[in-house]
Amino acid sequence: MAASTTSAGRRAPAPLIPSIRRAVRALAVRLGSVVFAFLLGAVIVAATGGNPVAAYQALICGGFGLLCTGGENAGLQISNTVVFLTPLIMTGVAVALPFRAGLFNIGAEGQLIVGAIACTAVGVHFATLPTAVLLPLVLIAGMAAGACWAGVVGVLKATTGAHEVVTTIMLNYVAQWLLRYLIIGGPLQLKNGFSVSSPIGAGAHLPRLLPNSNTLIIFGLPASVYRIHTGLLVALAAAAIYAFVLWRTAFGYEVRAVGQSQKAARYAGVSVRRTIILTMLVSGAFAGLAGAVQIAAVDHNLTDKYFADTTGFDAIAVALLGLGTAAGIVLAAILFGALHAGGAVMQADAGISGNLVYVLQALILFSIAANFLRSLKLRLPAIGRATGTPAAEVPATAAVAEVRAALHDDEGIA
Amino acid sequence: MTALGDIGHLLFTADLWHATLAAAVLLLLPALGGVVSERSGVVNIAMEGMMLTGAFFAVAADLIVHNPWLAALVAILAGGVMALVHAVVAIRFRADQIVSGIAINIFATGITVFLINRFYGLQDVGHVPPAELLPNLQIPLLDQIPFVGRVLFQQNVVVYVALILLVVIHVLLFRTRLGLRIRAVGEHPEAADTAGIHVYRIRYGAVISSGLLSGLSGAFLAIGISNTFVPNMTDGRGYIALAAMIFGKWTPFGAFIACLIFGLGQAIYDNNSIIHVSQYLLSMLPYILTLVVLAGLVGRAQPPAADGIPYTPGIE
Repeated sequence: MAASTTSAGRRAPAPLIPSIRRAVRALAVRLGSVVFAFLLGAVIVAATGGNPVAAYQALICGGFGLLCTGGENAGLQISNTVVFLTPLIMTGVAVALPFRAGLFNIGAEGQLIVGAIACTAVGVHFATLPTAVLLPLVLIAGMAAGACWAGVVGVLKATTGAHEVVTTIMLNYVAQWLLRYLIIGGPLQLKNGFSVSSPIGAGAHLPRLLPNSNTLIIFGLPASVYRIHTGLLVALAAAAIYAFVLWRTAFGYEVRAVGQSQKAARYAGVSVRRTIILTMLVSGAFAGLAGAVQIAAVDHNLTDKYFADTTGFDAIAVALLGLGTAAGIVLAAILFGALHAGGAVMQADAGISGNLVYVLQALILFSIAANFLRSLKLRLPAIGRATGTPAAEVPATAAVAEVRAALHDDEGIA
Repeated sequence: MTALGDIGHLLFTADLWHATLAAAVLLLLPALGGVVSERSGVVNIAMEGMMLTGAFFAVAADLIVHNPWLAALVAILAGGVMALVHAVVAIRFRADQIVSGIAINIFATGITVFLINRFYGLQDVGHVPPAELLPNLQIPLLDQIPFVGRVLFQQNVVVYVALILLVVIHVLLFRTRLGLRIRAVGEHPEAADTAGIHVYRIRYGAVISSGLLSGLSGAFLAIGISNTFVPNMTDGRGYIALAAMIFGKWTPFGAFIACLIFGLGQAIYDNNSIIHVSQYLLSMLPYILTLVVLAGLVGRAQPPAADGIPYTPGIE
C-alpha cells in the first residue's frame, strides 16, 4: 500500500519506472495477502482461546530458527525448512506452467506420488547398479511416471474436453490408493506387517548438501545431522529451466499464446491440442521429479506418509503467490516451507494445531484471488492520489491480471 | 475371474441397491448444489469443503445438543457459511472462482482438524450414540414389497429429503420464474441485468443454496451413515459430485443418474468382503469410474455460457 501510494503520486513518463512500479505493486499485493492471512489467522487463534503471539513466535522459530523459546537449534530449523521447500519449488513449477497455458493442474500431488513410486520401484529393482547409472535412472523414472500421469489429463482434455480440474483430482486419489496397495500387500511391500517398501539401493541416493562429518560443527551441531540435501540444487535448476523454457523457447511461446487466447493461438498456427498435451507432460515431469527427489534424498523408501502428503496442493498456493515466475515460486516456496516446518514447532511449543498452516494457506489464496487490497483502495479514492491517476490503476493490476487471464480457459471453465 | 462372478452375484442383492441409493444421495445433494450454483454462473468446486465442514459441525453439535435434527440444521448452516465466503469472494470481489473453491477446500481441511485439536485434544471427536443419529425411516406397507421395499422404502430420512429436493430443484430451475432468472443470470448476465434481474442477489442465493445442500450431505455422512467425524472423511465425494454434475450436463436428473453410477461403484466397494481383490485396489474404483465417465462423455459437455465469469455491472 505504502509503496503504491507514493509511486502513484508522482507522474513518471519514463518507460523503466512503470515496469518497476508494476513489480513493486505486484509484490505489495502479494505481501499484503500474506499479512492479511496472518492477521485473520491470529483472530481465529484468539477466538478459539489460543495465544496468537505465542503461536506465531513458535511458527517463526520453527520456520527460520528465530525467536525460539523451546531451545530449538536454529540451524536444524532452517535445514528442516529447506527440506520442506525443495519439493515445493518443483511442484510449484508443475502448477505454474499449466497456469500459463490456461490449465489448472490440481494433480501435482498424484504426479508426485507416482514419481516417488517409480523412483522406488527402479531403485529397489536395480539396487546393485552404481550411482553413475542408477541415480539418473531413478530420477528419470520419476519424471517419466509423473509425465505419464499428467499426460493422461492432457490427452483427455485435448481429445474429449474432460475438464482437467476434475480429472487431476481423480488421478490424485487413484495415485494415493495405488501407493497404499503397492506397500500394503502389493509387490513393493518390504515384508508382511510393514506398510513400507523395501529401501532403494545406495546407488540411488541423492547426497546431502553438507559433508557427512561429525567434526565439522555448524550452528553448534555436527554437519552430519542436517538433512538439507542436493535435491535443493535440482529444484533450483528446475525453476531455472522453467523460466528458460517459458520465455526463451518456441514451446514456451506456444504455452503463453494458448494461455492468453486459444483462438488467437490457433490463428497464429499453434496447435492448441498439442500444446495442452505437451504442457501437461512437462508439468507432470516436474512434479514426478519432486517425488523422485524426495525418495532419493530424504526417505529412501516409500511409506504411508505419502498418503497424507499435501505438497502438490501447497504448490497451488506457491504458484499463485509466486505470480507464476521462477523467482516468485522460489520465494513463495521458502514461505510455505517455513510454515510447514514451523507448524510442528507451533504444535509442540504453543499447543496450537499445526493445521493452522492450512488455514493460513487458504486465507492467502482467498486474498490473492479476491485482491482485497485493490478493493480497499477503490473504496478510499481520495487518499494519496493525484488527479488523473486512475490510469495508473492499469499497470497496478496488470501483473495480477496476467496470472488471472492465464487462469481463465478461453473455452470456459466447467 | 472369480471377482467378476462375485460382482455379478452381488448385483442381484437388494442390499447392494439399497447401499447404492444411499451412496448416490450422498453425492446427489452437493451435485444439486453445484447445478444451482453453476446455472447461476458461479463455478463451485468447493462442495468438498462445505461437506466436510457440515460433517464436522454435525458431530460437534450432536454431541452437545443430543438431537440429530438440530445437529443437521447446524451442519446445513455451517455449509451455508462456507458458501457465503465463496460467494462474497467470487461475486463481490470477482475472484477467480476455482482458486476461491480450492481455498475453501483447504480451509475446511485445516479448520476442522484445528478445531478438533483445540476442543477435543487429540484426534478423536467422540462417537454419537445410535439413538442420536439421523434415523432410518421405514415407510409402512411399501417397505414390505420384496426387493423394491428394501431398496426404496427402508432408507435414511435424508434419502427421502434428497429425492424430494431433486424434484423440487428440477421444477424450480425449469418451470418457475425464479429458475428462468437463475439460468438467465448464468447464460447472459448483462441481458438479465438489463431486464431488471438482480444478478448479484440471484448468484448469492444460488451459491449459498449449494452450501446448504452440501452441509446436509455432510450431516448425512457424519451422523447418518457414520457416527463420528474423521479428518478428511469426505474423501473427495464433493469432487465426485462435481463430476456427476458435469456428466449430468448441469441438470438435476442428469446429475442423479451419474450419482447412481458412482453410488454403485461405492456400494460394490463397501461390499468388498466377498470380492477377493485388495481393498486398496478397489478403493480406486469410484475415482477411475469418474475418469472413464468423464472421458467417455459423448460430445463436449457445455457449461452455462457465463459460468465462471465474474459479473461487473455497467462495464459492457
